[in-house]
Amino acid sequence: MSHSTPADCEPNFTSMLPKPPGVLVVRKHHFLVRWSHWLNVPILLGLILSGISIYWASPIYQHKPDPNTGNFDVAADIGIWICAHVPGQHHYSSPPDWIYNHMSLGPGMLALALRLHWLCAYSFMLNGMVYVAGLVMGGGWRSLLPRRADLLDALRMFRYYLGFPFAKLMRRKWLHPLFNTKYNALQRAAYFSVPVAGLLSVATGWAIHKPMQLPWLVALFGGYNAARVWHFWLMLVYILFALPHVILVFADGWDTLRSMIVGWSTRVKRSEAIANGQ
Amino acid sequence: MGNEEKGNSLQPTDERVQSFFGERTLPAIEVAPRSLRYRTRRDVLLFGIGAVAALAGGGFFLPQDTLSRMGVRRNMNSPGKEWFLNKALRIDDDVAEALYSKNRRVPTYAKSQITPLKNNYNGTTPDPGYISGWNLTLDGLVSGLSISLDIRNLLTRFSVHEQITRLVCVEGWSAIAWWAGLRFDDLLRAYPPMSQAKWARVESSVNLDASGNSDPYFMSLDLATIRHPQTLLATHLNSQPLTVDHGAPLRLLVPVKLGLKNVKAITRITYVAEEPRDYWAERGYSRYDGI
Repeated sequence: MSHSTPADCEPNFTSMLPKPPGVLVVRKHHFLVRWSHWLNVPILLGLILSGISIYWASPIYQHKPDPNTGNFDVAADIGIWICAHVPGQHHYSSPPDWIYNHMSLGPGMLALALRLHWLCAYSFMLNGMVYVAGLVMGGGWRSLLPRRADLLDALRMFRYYLGFPFAKLMRRKWLHPLFNTKYNALQRAAYFSVPVAGLLSVATGWAIHKPMQLPWLVALFGGYNAARVWHFWLMLVYILFALPHVILVFADGWDTLRSMIVGWSTRVKRSEAIANGQ
Repeated sequence: MGNEEKGNSLQPTDERVQSFFGERTLPAIEVAPRSLRYRTRRDVLLFGIGAVAALAGGGFFLPQDTLSRMGVRRNMNSPGKEWFLNKALRIDDDVAEALYSKNRRVPTYAKSQITPLKNNYNGTTPDPGYISGWNLTLDGLVSGLSISLDIRNLLTRFSVHEQITRLVCVEGWSAIAWWAGLRFDDLLRAYPPMSQAKWARVESSVNLDASGNSDPYFMSLDLATIRHPQTLLATHLNSQPLTVDHGAPLRLLVPVKLGLKNVKAITRITYVAEEPRDYWAERGYSRYDGI
């Protein structure tokens, strides 16, 4: 701990020159964690877009072919529904392809999608190793570990987030639950789950990719078809995580976003609280 | 700082035993506001450059169809893009080859686990007329001869093996089917390839494209895979002779490879030293296809 001087206190003169008031910062994220965090954005986007293009070739959610259209793909049904009910989409040229045209590289490009998927998948695995290295080197992994009181604390945070917009509208005070850790319980649950999901995505990916050489991995996920279902739902986990993640970062403010780019945060109070056992 | 405000000692006196898994205090460091501003500006700038690079990378790697749907008129295809994506494909093939073990058998299933197997002929299914005059030709043998075998030769000379294995398609679907046929390895021993041969070109001359025109199907297969005991030249499916849909009278069944290597209605096998051409590799898919 340095001999720092809060801006509002009388400076403690150790030399004859007056020191300009300093800013207290903490190193919140190791640079490897920051780099791998941002690299995940293009890599995951590439994986999801190419993944849905691969999904097109043989959808896991199918039904008996429609007697009129011959369609059997649930994703195509959703596209048809969107074109029928969403304003502005009535004249869409190919409703069954709506999902694939908007949420993937496009239908009918399996070879290209597979090549991109492998490129992104190997990048994702390398990036995951960089992330883990950053967590270990920066000691950040300790802040991600689940705690005993997490379930209750997570519920408190959830209640806070739910009530926050109403409290703002009603101009009522709505206090943030107190915690003395780097992350609150809900954040911790999310930031712990996402690397686990990453690991499971890689494992299910290998199970689908090399089922004959890694039959034990296929068995672990309940068979080849089940591994495909796992792989698909794990993609949805990223999307379900990313949406509130982005919203909450912007809601939380510049310091939080800056800490993932610069690494420094000026919010030192929380970590002080840990030191004092508060 | 909390300690100072309370008038405590300046040194943190944390006497609790910190467990290995316990969260550590982030040490607060004092920096000049100027240096915080400088670092922020520098890193946000770097971040912006990275974001632009990622966008450019996206433009570089995305398929032309995707880009044109997004409103990009310019042709963004480049030899560099092909090279890079093919490189990723080759790395994946090398990984697949490293994972392969000649001693590892693929999982086999019970009859109750058999699932329907669809006819996935890419083009038109051939007319069954070819079956009566069908012959299998072997080339590239150590004898230097070209051998021609009919289905009776094959079935009487070689012992028949059965297996219930999963056929996995590159599209993602798979099917568990009950196959019977001769081991490719037995044929290889009976008609040894020339000594420098490392590959086989497996061919079907009866393959048709979508409009019904002749479109010979050819595929590369490494000798290591041919020697695998579960690599069959299948003659039967579900204890019945193969139908045209499934490659009568003889198809390749190579469960350690994707379905597209499982050539239907094989008419010629040629042993060669260099890796031969491959129908689907020429259409952007992998060459090795080991699963």
